[in-house]
Amino acid sequence: MTEVGARAVGASVRRVEDPRILTGRGRYLDDVVLPGMLHAAFLRSYAPHGRLLSVDVAEALELPGVVAVYTGADMQRLTEPGKPGVIAGMDQMPGMALPASYGLAVDKVRHVGDPIALVVAESRYLAEDALELIEVDIEPLEAVVSYADALDPAKPPLFEEVGSNLAFQMELPLGDVDGAFARADRVLTATISVHRHHPNPMETRGIVASWDSAAQKLTLHASTQSPHMLRLLLPPQIGVPMEQIRVLAADVGGGFGLKNSVFREDVAVAAAAKDLGRPVKWVEDRLEHLATGGHAREEKADVELAVTDDGRIIGARLDLVLNVGAYLADPFPGSTMAMAAVMFFQGPMKLEALGAKATSVFSNKATYVSYRGPWATGDFLRERSLDIVARELGLDPVEVRRRNYVVRDESPLAMLTGTPYLGVTTRECLEEAVRLLDVPAFRERQEAARAEGRYLGLGLAAYLEGAPPPKTNGERQADIVGDETTYLAVDERGRVVITTRQQPHGQGHQTTLAQVAADELGVRFTDIDVLWGDTDITPVALIGTGGSRAATMANGSVLHGSRALKAKVLALAAELLEADAGDLELADSTVSVRGTPGIALPLAELARIVATEPERLPDGVDADLRITEVFDGGEGGWSGGVHACVVEVDVETGLVAFERYVVVEDCGLPVNPAIVEGQIRGGVAQAVGAVLLEHAAYDEDGQFVAASFLDYLMPTSTLVPDIEVHHVQTVLNDPDVNFRGVGEGGMIVAPAAITSAIEDALAPFGAQVREQHLPPSRILELVGTVPVR
Amino acid sequence: MKPAPFAYAAPTTEDEVLDLLAEHGDEGKVIAGGQSLLPMLSMRLARPSVLIDLNGVAGLAGITEFDGGVAFGATTRERAAERSALVGDRLPVLAEALPLIGHEAIRNRGTIGGSIAHADASAELPAVAAVTDAQLVLRSRAGGERVLSAAEFFQGHYTTALADDELLTEVRIPGSPPGAGWAFTEVARRHGDFALVGVAAMVVLDDAGSVEAARLCLMGVADVPLRLPAVEASLAGQPVSADTVAAAATDAVAGLELASDVHGSGDFRRHLAEVTVRRALTTAADRAGAPA
Ligand SMILES: Cc1cc2nc3c(=O)[nH]c(=O)nc-3n(C[C@H](O)[C@H](O)[C@H](O)COP(=O)(O)OP(=O)(O)OC[C@H]3O[C@@H](n4cnc5c(N)ncnc54)[C@H](O)[C@@H]3O)c2cc1C
Repeated sequence: MTEVGARAVGASVRRVEDPRILTGRGRYLDDVVLPGMLHAAFLRSYAPHGRLLSVDVAEALELPGVVAVYTGADMQRLTEPGKPGVIAGMDQMPGMALPASYGLAVDKVRHVGDPIALVVAESRYLAEDALELIEVDIEPLEAVVSYADALDPAKPPLFEEVGSNLAFQMELPLGDVDGAFARADRVLTATISVHRHHPNPMETRGIVASWDSAAQKLTLHASTQSPHMLRLLLPPQIGVPMEQIRVLAADVGGGFGLKNSVFREDVAVAAAAKDLGRPVKWVEDRLEHLATGGHAREEKADVELAVTDDGRIIGARLDLVLNVGAYLADPFPGSTMAMAAVMFFQGPMKLEALGAKATSVFSNKATYVSYRGPWATGDFLRERSLDIVARELGLDPVEVRRRNYVVRDESPLAMLTGTPYLGVTTRECLEEAVRLLDVPAFRERQEAARAEGRYLGLGLAAYLEGAPPPKTNGERQADIVGDETTYLAVDERGRVVITTRQQPHGQGHQTTLAQVAADELGVRFTDIDVLWGDTDITPVALIGTGGSRAATMANGSVLHGSRALKAKVLALAAELLEADAGDLELADSTVSVRGTPGIALPLAELARIVATEPERLPDGVDADLRITEVFDGGEGGWSGGVHACVVEVDVETGLVAFERYVVVEDCGLPVNPAIVEGQIRGGVAQAVGAVLLEHAAYDEDGQFVAASFLDYLMPTSTLVPDIEVHHVQTVLNDPDVNFRGVGEGGMIVAPAAITSAIEDALAPFGAQVREQHLPPSRILELVGTVPVR
Repeated sequence: MKPAPFAYAAPTTEDEVLDLLAEHGDEGKVIAGGQSLLPMLSMRLARPSVLIDLNGVAGLAGITEFDGGVAFGATTRERAAERSALVGDRLPVLAEALPLIGHEAIRNRGTIGGSIAHADASAELPAVAAVTDAQLVLRSRAGGERVLSAAEFFQGHYTTALADDELLTEVRIPGSPPGAGWAFTEVARRHGDFALVGVAAMVVLDDAGSVEAARLCLMGVADVPLRLPAVEASLAGQPVSADTVAAAATDAVAGLELASDVHGSGDFRRHLAEVTVRRALTTAADRAGAPA
């Protein structure tokens, strides 16, 4: 780590956030304490599927300290049902079912953990005591659990108004699919699956809602990635107009996409606080979170590959099904991720045609939410497919990738969707990874180890991430999230204040946005304040922080805004110093005249004059040191790279150990390399969890069986390898802004690299890895020592 | 995840503890390190009306010599035992098992007596107690003191011979036979997890290099730590070889009835148990001086 030097951008500047967060002084949702605050707890369904016949709260209401108990009937009285996805335009998509729901179950329960009642009491302890006194009568219905259940018309539909358990369906022909298959030398097929797992951030969900009857204002403290989203989505449900809602979010302990939603619990708690006229706090506990906080992935695809004898995949047909669970996430229903997954199948591959069918189905499972690279199953299908081709043709997986990945500035210049492959460095990253791991030497070592009964494997995979991608025919892709607005100002003390619509939850924006501004303005890094997390002052945004967008969008907005602000500062200084603005420079928070030492106007002094002695300024001069910068993403570009690893599998116990993990990536110009690397390493750690440990499993009756940390295992420091991150020389697309997102890449590609390595290690056993989850029990099945369950 | 209401007592002497236990019977529960009890309270799986805190009781913790081995006061922290030179010297199998219990932060609080009294079928210390023929000292107002063997003490998963009014005061582990080689081997999905299976083994060799005596205890495969006297006896007199060890491992898992869970099937656990017995016996024999 370095201190800020001459240029802040490109240096691993120490994070401004760290001292408070690392010493336990961050301010998270549970730190919010308001006068007269009450505490909420939810009664949740034990049944996967059933009719809710009655909810008797009489005894709970009598417990001293209990203030109120709400049921679905109360929600019908106090709120309107939420219509998921409408604000994001999802109701305009054909084939999309968007059943509405209340904050609490009304006539049916649809998954284990479905909220049935809300107790509000003087303490969380008392609220939980009261939960035990509520009597619920549920008439069980047949549970819909698997893909097959959901596609079976004989099974009961979760939502009667939908009529079936089909949540979404679309078909996508890109290019001449039949032609590609006709030209193929062979057709390979496989069924490939990804299992349900979830973001599981350190800080669970939660909200504190407080109604000020004098100001007629509802204040929500939230653990969210998107404060404005709550303000946009809640009004139709709770009947409080947007202008009467303020959302505050301070430090947020992780989100990974999960917290880009408004939850049914948010609605119920906000309605209760308004009804009671007292602040109500709900902090989700870990048991609630594991069961209902939001799950992700769970897709399965039948893949058909049109392959040439030299190892090229020229065409593919995908039939993908996604299990979206019961209630849809709002505003981004998980069902749409089926489409995203098939669209990202191509990635950096020279595919000539793609035929895809994407289906999402409802089931009696928890809500499917976005999780770090929500389309990553598409990348997984591609990389598994490349390994399948390699094994089938007896080629090295590296060679197959050389033949299939696009080469910069060579045909094809665009994806099947039309998005250009502008500046992609996949091949450069691949060669660097191959060099770093010395693949030929590894193959010799692998041979020797096998002779001793040790099983080493090498795996690799590539990805592309557009955040935002390059323009297609000069046009930016339609994007509901929109342009990035930032407010920048010099305040009366001469401090630069950046007000961002980003909602940092681990990305270090307080540091990186200040780095960009410091360089562009010529202001000391320590003279810059970054403000976020208050809808009364921050620019509106449907998504605060998500989609790996901040690197380009927020930094770009700050870069251009800083230049505009600097121009204003220099124009004012020119008046005060009676100099030509063109002769002035701003450095170290001080304006000086080039070539005239001794004349200097500190920014603080300039700001003081503007605030307190405006008479010193000439009439009519623009003394408003505020900028509203709107940035459209510029030329955009791809972030991407190759992950490669070497594992050793203990074929007696099924345990996997990493020998080496190498990332070669290109994210344009990193603002802060340490933060970039941290993002990548975090994603890889989550992938280690996904492949080796984490499975949000349900049994065939729909009971949730990964309900505590004894059964849902997270990666720990002893399991996650040292992750080497190497940066590749980048291609600059935009004259000014070439910072590209890295938030999701690690988690997108690492599961594919790890499974690839495990399959390579188990090659002597003829193992065919067709799934992402490879716990020891599954590895021993692949080895053949334990019967398939 | 908040406990149901309870009263809290903070006695300072063992006598006061025994009085409180006599008074409250099955309504009272002692708390030592709290590393097992607190989660159970929070999930409302345990709901005592009185919690009797052992942490302020004088004289209940301590590590002393005992019969060539070591005696532990019940509230001796797992971490204190791990760092004890006496334990390293006298009880190699315990020294090898202790670092496998959870993580340092847990061992800083968790106690030897708490782990034994809690009797989790996947816990390391009950298996160590069983393989070392430990003696467990129990005291109550009504019954005075009694000393039980591990076989008498462990009755099932979370179930022991401790009466409602009884306190475990001491765990006595005798020294090991001369020349014994010990091993504690387990398979866990992550370091610090309760293991899928674990095996404690001891091998003593005679002058000819054959097995003179062997002990084997499996954990995580039954509702109590499972000593295998028949397999132990069958090893006696055998030369140490890969075949001997493999045969013992096969015998060891032959009769096991294993359930499936999220981590794997019963077949999977049986396979792991066999592998682990083999590895533990091999290591113990090596340490006893068997030629490689
Ligand atoms: C994350 C985590 C991981 C863990 N991993 C492991 C592991 O891998 N292996 C393992 O073995 N353990 C593990 N543990 C449990 C740990 O070892 C506990 O410390 C131990 O099981 C209980 O000891 P304690 O002193 O904390 O007992 P407590 O939690 O205080 O009490 C446990 C039970 O024993 C009773 N009790 C305690 N002391 C006495 C006494 N002197 N007389 C009578 N009854 C008594 C209590 O009433 C209670 O019923 C883990 C715990 C955690 C939180």
